Amino acid sequence: MDGKKSKESAVGGRTITRHEVEDFLYREASLLDEWRLDEWFTLFEEGGRMEVATTDWKGWDSASAGSFMCDDYDLIKARVKRLKSRKAHAENPHSRTHRMISNVIILEQGDKTVWVSANFIIHRYRDGGAYSYVGRYEHVLLVEDEGLRFRLRRSIPAMEAMDAGARLSFIL
Amino acid sequence: MTQLTQGYPLSSLVKEDGEALSFKVHRSAYRSQEVFQEEISKIWGHTWLYLGHETEIPKAGDFKTRTLGGRPLIFCRDSSGEIQVFLNSCTHRGTVLCRHSEGNTKFFQCFYHAWVFSNSGDLSALPGDDAYVDVPEFREAMRLRSVPRVQSHEGFVFIAFDPDVPDLMTHLGKAAHYMSLTARIGPAGMETVPGVQLYSVKGNWKLAVENAMDGYHFAPTHNTFVGYLRETGFAVTDDDQYAYDLGGGHGLLILTGHNGRIGMVWEPRFGEAEKDRTVAKRQEMEDRLGPELAKEIADASRILFVFPNLLLFDLEALTIRQIDPVAADQTSVRAWQFVEVDEPAEVRALRIKTMVSFVGPGGLATPDDIEAYEAVQRGIEATANAADPGFDWSDMSRGMANEQKGNQGRSIDEGAMRSFWRHWAGVVGRD
Ligand code: FES
Ligand SMILES: [Fe+2]
Repeated sequence: MDGKKSKESAVGGRTITRHEVEDFLYREASLLDEWRLDEWFTLFEEGGRMEVATTDWKGWDSASAGSFMCDDYDLIKARVKRLKSRKAHAENPHSRTHRMISNVIILEQGDKTVWVSANFIIHRYRDGGAYSYVGRYEHVLLVEDEGLRFRLRRSIPAMEAMDAGARLSFIL
Repeated sequence: MTQLTQGYPLSSLVKEDGEALSFKVHRSAYRSQEVFQEEISKIWGHTWLYLGHETEIPKAGDFKTRTLGGRPLIFCRDSSGEIQVFLNSCTHRGTVLCRHSEGNTKFFQCFYHAWVFSNSGDLSALPGDDAYVDVPEFREAMRLRSVPRVQSHEGFVFIAFDPDVPDLMTHLGKAAHYMSLTARIGPAGMETVPGVQLYSVKGNWKLAVENAMDGYHFAPTHNTFVGYLRETGFAVTDDDQYAYDLGGGHGLLILTGHNGRIGMVWEPRFGEAEKDRTVAKRQEMEDRLGPELAKEIADASRILFVFPNLLLFDLEALTIRQIDPVAADQTSVRAWQFVEVDEPAEVRALRIKTMVSFVGPGGLATPDDIEAYEAVQRGIEATANAADPGFDWSDMSRGMANEQKGNQGRSIDEGAMRSFWRHWAGVVGRD
């Protein structure tokens, strides 16, 4: 037993470490907190997807159940364009967000991908209100020589519902 | 007569002046705790309320719990397949009986003193029942409390806490037809899917109703969404968009040129495969329903409001939205995707993706709506107890001249809001 399930996995001839996954997720978090959305978008492979499950989620596939977000690549692009516009009223002015990511686990490896999970806490401030979003990521990352990219970025909220004021106008 | 702190009696919160073409709503209607309490008692206590759809609990024993108008409820299908709606409160000492949000069970057991009720409401076991006199009568008297009235139309289940409300169909009136149109889209019927959007907004429930019935805000508020539609090859227009007063506080917007409709009006972002299916689907509908009805269902988008808490968004795809007042400045919302039974998996996926991209707190459009009415809720504090009391009114007179001429109201006017408020004034303003 080499412990690779929890710590690292060999993919496409190179070894993915938890450290590398953590760096990727931390970098993503800072791009989002700084609203560097164009750079953030480059973290997706062409054709990548993004999902945010509803709070009653029990493992459903976003093609057969409702969700908060189930963006294909074009929709992620449209979302970025929208959020950069002054006319995205729900985010004008922007929310201030502060993301904490932990409990990063490499779940499994495929030929070209690695499945990871991580916990998140996102604090969001806007209009005098403070909101916390707690949940888990379950991502499928494409492993390339240069680094990692999202094939599927999935957030699973742990809350029972989105509280008053806690709409998801930003990226969870 | 109830007096409000700002000196306006409840019955004069809505002011209409036909000569001056002026229609105003006093802003305490959105702010005041007293108004809110009046609404809970006069509307939520005495009107049919949308509870949920039968397909949320398809199998015997399925249940969901939810709160409506402040009352915890159990919405379940009993072992014989009947829909039951109970107050979620143990008849012994009042404990919330079922503390799960959903599940399947034959029995609900109260954890406090372990009384057990069947899913049809019978008290089937109580520990130490020898200490109660006349045990069978006692058990009968301690059945779970059913909500006084439960009726459904096309699978949409409504309840009333007042046993004396008129029949559901009387309440629905003309709105019933538009619910039926929606229910007939799929040859094998329609169903809700799991994945319910549960969220709350910091705004009065009536602002959520106004927003849904307000075509005037569409272009400015949803500028980025309209831009996205244009880029995907679909031009949105304001033409042929009308508002209808269905009576009883119910309202309807009928929108053509608004957006595509999956299986009915193709637009490029739906993809080529969907183009062919749209032709086939239209044929299927004509064969099944006749050309007239197929046309009515397919050719226009509709937003239906059923007073006081159901919104049916029959747009690119369908969403059922239920609103539930929590406080004068807070509203809970539940939203379900409503889909054709047995449709192909790729159509289901397209439908869900398309609808979720627009509606819901993570969509490309709804967050801006929520921003709008949360901003109203904050902004109307500015004029509370203003030096000039004339400032403390919201204006809803857009399109009144046209209305007086008897022309069909445009969705970009405020006629649908006026009909809502006229009805509201009749219900809440009554002492
Ligand atoms: S309160 Fe439920 S058994 Fe006593
Ligand atoms: Fe809107």
